[in-house]
Amino acid sequence: MSESGTQLFARLEARRCLKDVEPRLFADDGGPDRGKTELLYHLLCRCVLPEAAGGLEVDVVFVDTDYSLDMFRLASVLDSRLNAGGSAGSDDAVLRSCLSRLLVVRCSSSSQLLLTLHFLETTLSSRPRAALLLIDSISAFYWSDRSEAASVAKQEEKLSRCSELLGRLLRDYRITIFATCHPIRRGSNGPPSSSEADRSHLCRAWQRLVTHRLVCSRQEAQHNPANGDERSGEQRNWQVFTVHCSSWTGTRGSRVSSFRVTDGGVEFIWTPRPPPDLSAVL
Amino acid sequence: MVVLLVGMCPGLDEDLLQSLRAADIRTVEDLVSSDIEDLAQKCSVSYKALFAIRRVLLAQNTAFPVSGADLYEELLSSTAILSTGNPSLDKLLDSGLYTGEITELTGGPGSGKSQVCFGVAVHIAYQLKQSVIYIDTTGGLTASRLLQMLQTETNNTDEQMEALQRIHTFRLFDVGALLDCLYGLSGGGLHKVCVGGGSVKALIVDSVSAVITPLLGGKQNEGMSLMIQVAAALKTMAKDFNVAVLVTNHVTRSSSGEAQPGLGVSWSHVPRTRILLERVERGASGRRSATLIKSSRQACLIKEDFDLQWWSRAEGEKGGETSGKRKLDETDT
Repeated sequence: MSESGTQLFARLEARRCLKDVEPRLFADDGGPDRGKTELLYHLLCRCVLPEAAGGLEVDVVFVDTDYSLDMFRLASVLDSRLNAGGSAGSDDAVLRSCLSRLLVVRCSSSSQLLLTLHFLETTLSSRPRAALLLIDSISAFYWSDRSEAASVAKQEEKLSRCSELLGRLLRDYRITIFATCHPIRRGSNGPPSSSEADRSHLCRAWQRLVTHRLVCSRQEAQHNPANGDERSGEQRNWQVFTVHCSSWTGTRGSRVSSFRVTDGGVEFIWTPRPPPDLSAVL
Repeated sequence: MVVLLVGMCPGLDEDLLQSLRAADIRTVEDLVSSDIEDLAQKCSVSYKALFAIRRVLLAQNTAFPVSGADLYEELLSSTAILSTGNPSLDKLLDSGLYTGEITELTGGPGSGKSQVCFGVAVHIAYQLKQSVIYIDTTGGLTASRLLQMLQTETNNTDEQMEALQRIHTFRLFDVGALLDCLYGLSGGGLHKVCVGGGSVKALIVDSVSAVITPLLGGKQNEGMSLMIQVAAALKTMAKDFNVAVLVTNHVTRSSSGEAQPGLGVSWSHVPRTRILLERVERGASGRRSATLIKSSRQACLIKEDFDLQWWSRAEGEKGGETSGKRKLDETDT
């Protein structure tokens, strides 16, 4: 399955078993759109789908901090990918087996998040196929922590502990962690520059842990001429998002990609020219 | 923060608690995060005992992981879709309000948000025969308006009364009362509210921005954290009790002059679906246009025109589709 995604996804594709997984921590920031969540579902689907349909068949742990996991949407994306792969088997059973590779944990406070991450250590050691940890979102408790605590240090304490624990999980179990973070200020709608003034508002321990950052932003909805649609005159408003990816490991680099959200999930838009700094990127 | 107390788990007695406190371990998080070997030496307790205590406390306080397949099965069997009673709105919402999710109606003053909420409440109470909880924070809810809408549905006063009884109203004007009400409902009040056999399937809060906006801005963080608490309470109600939550919000003007929903970026993640209501320039006074600005199921920015008076149209017009709807974008479902 060809994919013109970012090089991060290409790297993820190469990883199969736990031993080969390079420890990476991605933080996914973005505006109040479905762009980030769709990217997460895309990643999730790539991991749990069977190899016949283009997936990696690994287990995924999804930590849901704000009740935002939409199982119906996830199931419909999985379904359309399975159908596109042309599998002749009974779809229901295959769908169930894909979904059973996903483990969902719901946390309602940052203390519960910390305790749950400790508990996940035992889960990870008992599930050797677990290769991906998704956290949506890591910033969900920012305001409740901030109002509870008297000082900045106390406010960031729980999140720093979570970050330290995540760092340990990365080193010991060599998993990949992908986390979304919601901004607290309404940013401008223009393309983000590589040296952003709007740094993450989360604590230092978290910022140190992040090795790659994907910033999603929404482009103006475009009227695309119908490609391959028989009905004449049909227009669709596709939401186009751009992802600006910057990395801090090894060589510094950044890359921009755009994707749009369709019924079958995220569809990367092929850019005719490769970005100029491709050689600088890992 | 969960503070360590005597008797929380077997083996956690007074002496152990004292020695833990001396080692600066006061909460469950501290105990779980610290090095057990080190701690066992400091408190002169056996490593095994401390490890067992840690394991029990962890099991008691963490969230239970669920397999994706089980979660999906559960959702399939328990989710219901409640029609709003207005076919144009149903089309935008992909056939109606989904239980377990929060839907937001946003619009300027006079754009019809409260009228839509009344219509939805009446439809669910009368046609779908389910109970509705209506939390009114603006003082705009009147029983006479609900009765007026019901009178166009049926002439039978008994049925009207029955339907009115299924709509439970709460009048609150500040965020503390709202939180109290929501916690009270989650804590068992929901069962008490059910009457006549119909379970509560919808919770309408009109409007949530009226109680939160006065607290936002300035240097205090209270407002943001209270808003997040309200969001969390609404979400847990939606998920745990399988209720469709409908909230209303005001609009603000963005820098480019277009209308956008209020309450800022932090609230924008809370509702799963958002609809913007606007007045239509030309046309009858009851016409409004609804635009879908956030949805996980449909392409965004679909626009539908609809008539606010749909829920109170005369008896003779019902039963036939009125074709006065103008669609700006073709969608395929």
